[in-house]
Amino acid sequence: MALPERKTDIGPPHYEQFLPPVIKKNYGKWLYHEVLSPGTMKHVAESGDEIYTVRVASPRLLSTDSIRDICEIADKYCDGYLRFTTRNNIEFLVSDKSKLDPLVKELKEKNYTIGGIGPRVSNIVHTQGWVHCHSACTDASGLVKSIMDELYEYFTEKELPNKVRLAVACCVNMCGAVHCSDIAIVAVHRKPPVVDDENVPKLCEIPTTVASCPTAAIRPNPKTKSIIINEERCMYCGNCFTVCPPISIHNPEEDGVAIVVGGKVSNLRSDPKFSKLAIPFFYNDPPRWPKVVQAVKNILETYAKHARKHERVGEWVERIGWERFFSLTGIEFTFQHIDDFTFARDTFRTSAAFKF
Amino acid sequence: MEQAELQEKIYEFMQKMKGKKKLKEKDIIKHISGETGEDKDVVKKALRAMIDEGRLMYSYGGGASSVEIPSEEYLREKGLIK
Amino acid sequence: MSGKYKTPMLDELEKGPWPSFVTEIKKAAKKSDMAEDELGQLEKSYNTKRGYWKHGGIVGVLGYGGGVIGRYSSLPEEFPGVAHFHTVRVNQPSGFFYTTKALREICDIWDKYGSGLTNLHGSTGDLVLLGTKTENLEAVFAELSSRGWDLGGSGSAMRTPSCCVGMARCEWANIDTMDLCNELTQYYQDQLHRPAFPYKFKIKISGCACDCVAAIARADLSIIGTWKDSIQINQDEVRKYAEAGLDIQKEIVDMCPTQCMYYNPEDKTLKIADAECNRCMHCIAKMTKALRPGKEKGATLLVGSKAPIVVGSLLSWVIVPFMKLTPPYDDLKELIDKMIEWWDDNAKPRERIGELIEAKGMRAFLEAIGVPPMPQQVKEPRKDPFFFWAESDFKK
Ligand code: SF4
Ligand code: SF4
Ligand code: SF4
Ligand code: SF4
Repeated sequence: MALPERKTDIGPPHYEQFLPPVIKKNYGKWLYHEVLSPGTMKHVAESGDEIYTVRVASPRLLSTDSIRDICEIADKYCDGYLRFTTRNNIEFLVSDKSKLDPLVKELKEKNYTIGGIGPRVSNIVHTQGWVHCHSACTDASGLVKSIMDELYEYFTEKELPNKVRLAVACCVNMCGAVHCSDIAIVAVHRKPPVVDDENVPKLCEIPTTVASCPTAAIRPNPKTKSIIINEERCMYCGNCFTVCPPISIHNPEEDGVAIVVGGKVSNLRSDPKFSKLAIPFFYNDPPRWPKVVQAVKNILETYAKHARKHERVGEWVERIGWERFFSLTGIEFTFQHIDDFTFARDTFRTSAAFKF
Repeated sequence: MEQAELQEKIYEFMQKMKGKKKLKEKDIIKHISGETGEDKDVVKKALRAMIDEGRLMYSYGGGASSVEIPSEEYLREKGLIK
Repeated sequence: MSGKYKTPMLDELEKGPWPSFVTEIKKAAKKSDMAEDELGQLEKSYNTKRGYWKHGGIVGVLGYGGGVIGRYSSLPEEFPGVAHFHTVRVNQPSGFFYTTKALREICDIWDKYGSGLTNLHGSTGDLVLLGTKTENLEAVFAELSSRGWDLGGSGSAMRTPSCCVGMARCEWANIDTMDLCNELTQYYQDQLHRPAFPYKFKIKISGCACDCVAAIARADLSIIGTWKDSIQINQDEVRKYAEAGLDIQKEIVDMCPTQCMYYNPEDKTLKIADAECNRCMHCIAKMTKALRPGKEKGATLLVGSKAPIVVGSLLSWVIVPFMKLTPPYDDLKELIDKMIEWWDDNAKPRERIGELIEAKGMRAFLEAIGVPPMPQQVKEPRKDPFFFWAESDFKK
């Protein structure tokens, strides 16, 4: 069967051909928007033109058949125009107001989850996990599904003091902005890697492997032509494994996940911040990770109860102090919480004013 | 230097380095340009032509990209040779 | 085909109200052996708590060094359908807008040559097609590219740039994020498809300080829209917000980080001391009808953010506090070229630009790209009296 002729370096199709006419017409001339419900909003242009958006959750992993189902709905109500958000939601773009309610009705009938707009939990940004990544020490999709089932009404309905952005990363490579999320889960190793001395010399460049270790825990082993790991220095980052596959960091019995909190990327009110360690470890507990889910819910609800309106999780914690975060959430404070890596000294308290 | 001749030099160098060190495009260009005195852009063009026809290929391993001689098995899997 | 595997673990994840990825894999498995074996292998992972994927291998399309991520199962005998399960990254259109026609076209190609599974979208922004065999790659590429689609970046290369929805549907956009994203993607096609950098280089563009694409946390170059003059105030709308019950003093003025706003409850008017405003967007985001960004628009350029591998995560640092951005963005392109050149010349393999700046010093970077020192670049000046003098500092 003859294939069509390939082209190279053409880049993505120009976005303009995908814009609904009302967007093309009012491009750069939007005046304001209103959130109409947890999953719908209206944007109004200087010209008075309007466009309505209906936001629907997606598991990010979509089959072509589901995409076709979504397309069918978009054809019916949106003249065939739709978009996706950075946080993996689907947005139906409605130019004709009279189609808005029927669209919402059909989506509900078909069990789509509408929501995620305004001061709520948005869809979880996540990574590949066991579904598709060699590096994964947990399954991101399973955690996301389990957590969002539990927090469902915070997406579809219930208000929080402000937006809460959740994220899941299935290893410390952290594809996605997990390190700056309100509440995030990151999978971690806890044991130094095991070296396959037979294959290391065949498959790896020794100097590159040695150089890959951020704590200088790796040195060459002239006898075996492989490498030796100084286990005391290893902090289980797995970088050597990325560079040299025969160094295996996976340890299914001791791998698991940590929860970090208080990060943000927006500049609203306060500077963007990194998330910080809240709970150092949970065992992987598929298919539903019940303890992790409960811990996330506890943090979320403690925040909901104590934060002031418009405060993000990180802003709330900074106002009350981390010592208070631990007492309010009831989370145990451990040695793991005290930093001993690159920027440790900046995190030690240098003031006599703190809370009990 | 003719492009074909230059390409032979590149190929020779790639064969010599095979299994010893992963080379980036830049390393190859620098080396061949130094060896032959040809302008870097000329070497780059010759190298790119080899990559475009599948004589050499970009590769990825150990968390970084490099250029390599493709294996026959790979070219067969891709349907580029029988 | 369906029903080859019993999946009691994964079946649990079809329960509950949130849309289930397991249902998606099962849907695809009805049509594809690949998706079916993906399901089988995943069930095994759920039982043993470990993945069964090998390190990415060498795959690609002729002439390109990126856009395809090689993926092989470590259990090819048990799960032959995923013996090869490569990812194809398709460069998304700016702003993630699509027509149903375009999406269907991609679905048809993918049903023919792949597993029928996708990610909309990958973390970087690409439309990700999940799972195909090496022998299908050239065909997928021919089908896609002949219809106007191209592959995104991977490996040590320019990665697919991405942006927020910007002027297409947001009243706060200070720059045309989608146009800029498209321009830069086109400008860097060669660097995107042919990995020649020390490591990855990501560009993300947000139209304002709300930073909806998290540019500041996950891009080597974060471009964030801003303005230089005064916030535009519509006092009529201020009054309407007050009358509608917004507590302007408490929710807006008191939460302004620079304390530069003054509200008069008598006549319900708002004043801003613009010289003190740090353009954080809080008030504008909460009173969008009454307040708009200023008229002198441009962007702040920040450099260096990355995830924790290896020596810890970084947020991007302010390099150019303000730059006007108008098509065809030649000044910006020239500046980015200079940044990349300096990085390319100096970095070790797998060293990101942020790490290189730390290693070589901010001064070396700023001088290399021709940007002068400015107080906006730091939170505070250094504290200890140890500092270097360069020869050039004496000649003044
Ligand atoms: S976070 Fe780690 S395991 Fe997860 S997709 Fe990224 S590299 Fe793979
Ligand atoms: S896991 Fe990280 S710290 Fe441990 S040896 Fe490997 S590179 Fe070094
Ligand atoms: S980053 Fe700013 S301009 Fe862009 S979509 Fe978000 S709020 Fe709008
Ligand atoms: S943008 Fe931020 S700093 Fe400026 S006036 Fe509004 S709240 Fe205050």
